[in-house]
Formats: sequence, structure tokens, C-alpha cells
Amino acid sequence: MLEYAEPVTKLIDEFKRLPGVGQKSAQRLAFHVLRMSEAEVERLVAALEEVKRKIVFCSICNNLTDVDPCRFCASTNRDRSIICVVEEPYNLVAIEKTRSYHGLYHILHGSLSPIRGIAPEDLRLANLLPRLRPENNDGVEVREVILATNPNTEGEATASYISRLLKPLGVRTTRIAMGMPVGSDLEYVDEVTMDKALANRHDI
Amino acid sequence: MLLESLEVHNFRNLSGKVSWSPGLNLIFGDNGQGKTNWLEAIYLLATTKSFRTQRPQEAIRFDENLAIVRGVVARSREVQRELQVTIQGSTKTLSVNSKREAVARYLGQLHTVAFTADELEVVRGGPDARRKFLDRGVVSLHHTYVQTLADYQRVIRQKNRLLQDAADAELSIAETAARLEPWNEQLIGLSAEIHRARVDYVNRLNEALERKLFGHEEVSIRYVSSLESKGDLSDYEALLTDRLRLRVQAEMAAGYALIGAHRDDLEILFDGRDMRTFGSSGQQRSALIILDLAAVSVYHSWHSEYPLFLMDDVDAELDRKRIDHLLEYLEGRTQTFVTTSKEGLVERYADRAYLVEVTNGIAQEINTSVSKSSTVITGTAGI
Ligand SMILES: [Zn+2]
Repeated sequence: MLEYAEPVTKLIDEFKRLPGVGQKSAQRLAFHVLRMSEAEVERLVAALEEVKRKIVFCSICNNLTDVDPCRFCASTNRDRSIICVVEEPYNLVAIEKTRSYHGLYHILHGSLSPIRGIAPEDLRLANLLPRLRPENNDGVEVREVILATNPNTEGEATASYISRLLKPLGVRTTRIAMGMPVGSDLEYVDEVTMDKALANRHDI
Repeated sequence: MLLESLEVHNFRNLSGKVSWSPGLNLIFGDNGQGKTNWLEAIYLLATTKSFRTQRPQEAIRFDENLAIVRGVVARSREVQRELQVTIQGSTKTLSVNSKREAVARYLGQLHTVAFTADELEVVRGGPDARRKFLDRGVVSLHHTYVQTLADYQRVIRQKNRLLQDAADAELSIAETAARLEPWNEQLIGLSAEIHRARVDYVNRLNEALERKLFGHEEVSIRYVSSLESKGDLSDYEALLTDRLRLRVQAEMAAGYALIGAHRDDLEILFDGRDMRTFGSSGQQRSALIILDLAAVSVYHSWHSEYPLFLMDDVDAELDRKRIDHLLEYLEGRTQTFVTTSKEGLVERYADRAYLVEVTNGIAQEINTSVSKSSTVITGTAGI
């Protein structure tokens, strides 16, 4: 016999499919839904449906967007000669917050990981190389591609793979620096970060 | 460093608090009473790991959901820190002076060198145990090496999976080689780092080896890279790059990574002969102790303080002569914790050791002339 009534069990099972949600959290979420008013539940359902209906991948940079091309690719104020490659849309958001980057983006939606079954063909990479031709970029030649994948083994492998793809094309390819978080005391930086920062020191 | 006191709550069958002597602590009691559990608690406080189980929840007392091990560690006369490991379910939380800390910052607060039955694998088991012995030593000098090891293992796991998938999908050698490149590139950098760190550590051990501690036989060690005899080791990166390029097909056939620091070994010789094949059980134990003492010595010359020395079931592992040699050597150096079930040993060391008897998990000081940090509290103390 099921522990909970069938509809409750079904809801718990659906929540458990979500990333990072285990049995306990799924139960908590399901019981929260049961306590919600009908109007709140309808709002949640509508939001879920709307996001599926309206959000598409930008055909140029793969950003999640409700208009294609996305507002970055369509903007006339961005520097089209530089493309920053990131793993996920939220990495783009983090870079945008700096307000110091005005180039374009390319979102891979993942990183290489044989363990998770992610091979190069599973990344959204196929539309990167065509972007480097001026005729596909409003006549502007791309002079630099910044690889801003995560500083872990998967992110490094992904950056290494893409740099090998770009090498024959002669476009300048850079990797974001790893090291000290700015504004923090040396004392509070973890040893691994400090180690990397020391290894990557530069002349001034 | 000095473990002044240890307070334990629901860790295996233990509860209560013990204050320790800065010298030799002899923990005794009948088998099954919990002697080794006290040693394990000290080891856990130092390493956040158990020397008996991979799964932390196994160490929580039956029917309880929370185990706490807390100790006061003196780094100098003025500096004391309270370390705590809390086990709840399968998660461990660490804190220093009641503030939560990440593992990387927690480790190094208390360091132990432990001689346990499991550690004998170093002298008689496979290369894996010897690599772990070296890696523990390197970490004791450079904490950031933990991350290097973790990254290396991650890269190897990814590469193994890639090789298996390539075989399943019947990819060509050229295609597989291309897919391996991003992983091999990291493998080369990390493997070189590990190689150099271990070679350096073995050099330090060699300088510190008390080669003839237990008699006339001589112990010597040498780091054996799996790339030895394959070319010039002084340009490790270039050699490894070459080997990886040459062996793609072999690695594809094997379905796992065949080349790198994960295939290296430590050669341990006793009078010039391989310890693992030719050593008697007694010689193997002697060799391991000599290695452990060298690790103590290397730690001391690096940090200018001694680690704790732990030894489980001393009389099961060593004969009387070796025990005496060992304890004599450690006297005036480390704070030492030794367990035994032999009354004879307890009587022999009654005037030199701080005696703690363990009955049903509870530790009780036996009155001796040996000083300790403060009074012993027994029973189930509330935490
Ligand atoms: Zn776009």
C-alpha cells in the first residue's frame, strides 16, 4: 500500500525528479502545495506553463529568451567583436552584474563530463564557429573569444576543448583568471585559492 | 601540539570526558569495552575520518542520531583551540572554537600519525596503501594538496568513463584521442604536481629514517614512478605527454587510464630485499614503525611541533622488545596514545604512563604518579 494517497504520492515523485530534491524535501514541498490556496496553485501552474511556452533558446547565443534573437544579440550597443563563452545562463547574469563587459555571449548549457554522459556534441557549440564569420555577425569580425567556464575539472576540460576548436581559426582565445576574490582580506581566502593566485601571479 | 582533553557523546559506545597526559597515555581494558573507540575518536577529531569505516553514520551509537567528538588542543602555552566533529546521519560538521569550518581549514589543527592493523597494508598490501601513506604525509605539510588529489581523481574518473564509452560506441582511435585531450591535458599537470610532491616527501622521509631502530637490518625506501625506464623523468610533463600519445590504443582496450601518478608505488626494502615479498611479519611491522616515525620527524622539522602518535593494540602488533624501543624513542617527542589488553604491559609502564581504563565505553583514570592536564570526569556527561 502507498504511504500517501495516490495524488500526493504522484506529486512527491514529480518533485523528486527535480535536481537536488530528495525524498524529505519532496515531501515538504508536496505538503506545502496542499496548504496553498487554490489561487496560489493556479498562479504556480500558470508560471510553469508560461515559461515552457514563451522561453526559447536564442538562435545565435543559446541564451534563454522570450524574443529571438535575445536582447544581447539584438542590441546595437554591444561590442560584437568579443564573445564570452559561459556554461549556464546564470553565469551570464553574474558577468552582466559587473557592468564592465559589453560584448556578446555564448551559452553552452553544460560542460564536458563523460560521467554525466555529456560529450562535445551535447553542448550547444555547433552555432559558435559560424558566429566568428563577419557575414554572420553584422559584418563585424570577432577578435576575441573569452572562455569563462567554471574553474573545476569539467570547466577546464570544456575550455581546453573549445580552445582546440578555435586554434585553426586564428581568433584570439583567452581564459578568465583564477585567484583572489577582491575586497577580501588575505587572511580569509581559502588556501587553495591562495595557492592558485600565487601560481598565477604577474609582473607589475 | 597537545590534546588536553576529549569529550565524546554517543560516538560508538563512548560517552564522557577524558583529560590526557602530554606524554604516554596507555588505554587499557578487556576486548570489546571500547579502548579502540577512544583512539578512533582522537583520529576522527584529527582527520575527520575513521580508520575503521567509510560511512560516518556507523559510528553513531545505536538508536541515537547524533554523535559528537570534541577536544581541546593546545598549540602553545597560550593558544588553545576547541575542535569538534559532529556526525548526524551521513553528514559531518566541523567546528573550531564553536565556529563552523570547511574541511580545508579544519585539517591541520590536529595531526596524528597512527599505527593500526589496517595500516599494515602499507608494508604488505598493494601500491594503493603506499600511495595513500605518502599522500597523507604530503597533506600534513601542504594542505592544498588535498585539492590536487581530488582534482586528479576526478580527471581519472572522467577519463575512465570516456574510454569505456568510446569502446562501447566503437569510436576510432583518432576520435577517442581527440576527446581525451582536454582530460589528458589536466592529467599531465596534476600528475606532475603529485609526482614532485611525493618524490620530495620520500626524500624527506629518507633523511629522517631511523634505519636501524630495531636491530641491524636496514630499511630503505624509494619512490617508483610508473614512467621509470620509459624515458627522462626530469622532464616529467614531456615524458607523460609522449606516453599518453603512444598508449591511446592500449588505454582504449583496457577501458581505463593506464598512465599517471595513480600507477606509482613506494619501494620498501629491508636489507635490500623487497619488504612485501621477503619480509617476515615482525620485519614488516618494524619497517612500518620506522616509516611512521620518519613521518613524525618530517612533520616536526616542517612545523616545529610534533604530531600525536596513535597505536592500536600495541601488543598484538609488536613484541616486547620492539614496544620498549618504540616508546623509548617517542618519549620526550610526541604525545602518544596506545591501547592494550595486556595487564603485563600496564604494570611494566605504570610508573611512566598515564593509565586510563576503559569499561563499557567509560574511561577512568587509574591513580599514578604521572601528571595530566586536569581532573578526569567520567560517566555520561551532558554536552
Ligand atoms: Zn542571443
